[in-house]
Amino acid sequence: MAENKKVLIVGGGFSGLTAAVETAEAGFEVIIVEKTPFFGGRVTQLNKYFPKLCPPNCGLEMNYKRIKNSGDITFYTLAEVEKISGQEGSYDVTLKINPRFVNDKCVGCNACAEVCPVEMSNEFNFGLNKTKAAYITHNQAFPFLYAIDGKHCKGASCAKCVAACKYEAIDLNMKPQTINVNVGAIVLATGWDVYDIAKLDNLGGGKVANVISNMQMERLASPNGPTGGKILRPSDNKPAKNIAFVQCAGSRDENHLPYCSYICCMASMKQAIYVREQYKDAKATVFYIDLRTPGRYEQFYWKVKDDPNVSFIKGKVANIIEDPETKDVIVEAEDIMAGKKIKVKFDMVVLAAGMVPSTKSAKIPGDITYTPDGFVAAASLKKGIYAVGTLKSPVDVARSVQDATGVAIKSIQSARR
Amino acid sequence: MAEQIIKPDVNFINDVVAAGGESVKKCFQCATCSVVCNVTPEDNPFPRKEMIHAQWGLKDKLISNPDVWLCHQCSDCTAYCPRGAKPGEVLGAVRKLSIQHYATPSFLAKAVGSPKALIGLLAVPVIIFILALIMQGHSFIPEGRIVYAEKFMKVPYIDVIFSAAALFAVVGFVMGISRYWKDLTRNIEISSNPWQRKVKGPMIAIIFETILEFITHKRFKKCEVTKDRANTHLFVFFGFVGLAITTTWAIAYLYGYEFFGITAFSVFHFGESPYPLYDPMKIVGNVSAVLLLAGILQVITNRRKNAEKAGSGSYFDWLFIGIITSIVVTGILSEVLRLVDIGTEDGLRLADLRILAYPTYFIHLVSVFFLFAYAPFSKMAHMVYRTTALVFARYSGREEKKY
Repeated sequence: MAENKKVLIVGGGFSGLTAAVETAEAGFEVIIVEKTPFFGGRVTQLNKYFPKLCPPNCGLEMNYKRIKNSGDITFYTLAEVEKISGQEGSYDVTLKINPRFVNDKCVGCNACAEVCPVEMSNEFNFGLNKTKAAYITHNQAFPFLYAIDGKHCKGASCAKCVAACKYEAIDLNMKPQTINVNVGAIVLATGWDVYDIAKLDNLGGGKVANVISNMQMERLASPNGPTGGKILRPSDNKPAKNIAFVQCAGSRDENHLPYCSYICCMASMKQAIYVREQYKDAKATVFYIDLRTPGRYEQFYWKVKDDPNVSFIKGKVANIIEDPETKDVIVEAEDIMAGKKIKVKFDMVVLAAGMVPSTKSAKIPGDITYTPDGFVAAASLKKGIYAVGTLKSPVDVARSVQDATGVAIKSIQSARR
Repeated sequence: MAEQIIKPDVNFINDVVAAGGESVKKCFQCATCSVVCNVTPEDNPFPRKEMIHAQWGLKDKLISNPDVWLCHQCSDCTAYCPRGAKPGEVLGAVRKLSIQHYATPSFLAKAVGSPKALIGLLAVPVIIFILALIMQGHSFIPEGRIVYAEKFMKVPYIDVIFSAAALFAVVGFVMGISRYWKDLTRNIEISSNPWQRKVKGPMIAIIFETILEFITHKRFKKCEVTKDRANTHLFVFFGFVGLAITTTWAIAYLYGYEFFGITAFSVFHFGESPYPLYDPMKIVGNVSAVLLLAGILQVITNRRKNAEKAGSGSYFDWLFIGIITSIVVTGILSEVLRLVDIGTEDGLRLADLRILAYPTYFIHLVSVFFLFAYAPFSKMAHMVYRTTALVFARYSGREEKKY
């Protein structure tokens, strides 16, 4: 068979980026497509990430640089895979590239956003605040080009941004494009979504203002988040100093996600540290069934446990209500060790919501089988198609990266066939 | 913490599984159940602790545990259980084992709980009533108009057979309950456990309060997932109360007439049955029968409707439901057939109703006997054990706080 050196990476999060740079640096041509206008995936949304608790950019920036420096990587944002056909060594893939309405001339001056009259929910911040329809997610976004949201933008009838842009970077007439590529291998790295906490009817998700998800907590703590890194509760923007972390919010629950989401115990402990570092008198209480601290993460637990202001209560929270006057959150659990039902008031509650594979809601076109929970059934993938990281099972960043590096080798082998 | 020696009973675990608690081992002790339960006390809440006790085979901690009777099997726990461990069903199984544990003789307790023994248990009243018919020299399908008492099963036979059955049940209950109460109160004085602290209160007041709770079903109405159950149970409950009143009333009529020679006055018909439909006793009886029928049919539909969330129930549950349904359906049918028979003129009969009526009445007698005689061993016993447990809960201070 003819040598085909192209590899398609679907998904521009940490796994996809890793697979892309590793493959490209081995001398193979890479196409990487990302559904949103920006790369970086879930990791970009974190304040700090394991294992070293560094801010997301310390890993991502390096990958972006490697992408820029490599001549062999073509990247598309706002791009989706529409069709996959063929076999290992030669897959024909149809890609749909949605319009950004902003071209490469953009310098990121924010003039468009200033004049844009349309506000929309900021999904990068999980709806914690609003953003304009002409927007950039944060100051280190990649690519550093504004994007205009096609669903919310009023189009040519408004065009205030076009007038405001000094660099002729905005073109509201951009149309979706379809391109066909031929690749030797495909790496699926479309990642995960956070479980919708509104489905947890007894935990106040979506109903109680000061009940947020763990990913929202990351945005609250992040310097480029809606509060500039101040941990303020949504109802009144008061500092949230007494926070409860509710573990297994949806995970290990056959009514929601029957599996353990792997990362949530560590995430909650990490977030307990965010609060403790921010406010001297802060208190964090973690309600758990079992604390799961895989491998060496156990040491992290020992450290957190030593803090007298962090307490761990064995007993799953099964009822959360709002104090209508103060908007405080009342959490009900059985303190198993004490053998008592307890009701405790907190400023804010973080639900350690689980991981849902992106393929649960958005299936990848092509002949791919899924587990009942929506994960890609990796063993049944066709030759030359590989799934990475959280598409197969819930894992942390480090394991995703290891997996992506391994898959780079696999896809190179397929591309050489 | 003081050292505790636990005595696991492996057979008990198997018994719980066999009695409808097969999901018990799925429990991973998250305590969701204790939180979503609306009827548990705040201290030492159930059913989380019962789940681990059952998993470990701690029979002693469960059999005499009043908490298993504070549970009304709302199934809120079962619906929210993240593992499908169905605490409601497991506690139901424990209650069955508790009834069987205290009931004497124990072989009968085992038999009532086992589908294999059903034929044998049914055979007892069938044989008794057939013998009674033979002794009276009555045909199985007597000629002429339908009269159940005179032509089929005469009052003295009914009275002797059912008095014996009732006496057997009462003796069984007294023996069972006294053993249960002894176990309940065994450690009450020496225990440092606050919920076993004895409150000084008049027992009469506590019993009265408990009965008041039954009349209103106050606790039962706290159920959420199966909230319709409290009302249907109320129907069944008052159906039974009404029928108990009717029976007593009927005895007063009959023996008032026989011993004191009281005859009909006004609307009250002392004398021999059948009594006219407008007799107040008859009205109470018929209304109660309709209540019971409406209630038990609702019980069946609700159980089927809630099966997915609450579990489908065990043989023990369905035997009880089946017997009540049989009693009420055959009872009403017997009466209707008799009335239809009276309503038709001789020679103008559309069909010979007797062939249907007497066997129906026979099944009715067998079913009532079954309910009476086996009450201490069947789910019927729940009324006695639950009452005792609720009285104890108040008496011991387990329920000082508002539930």
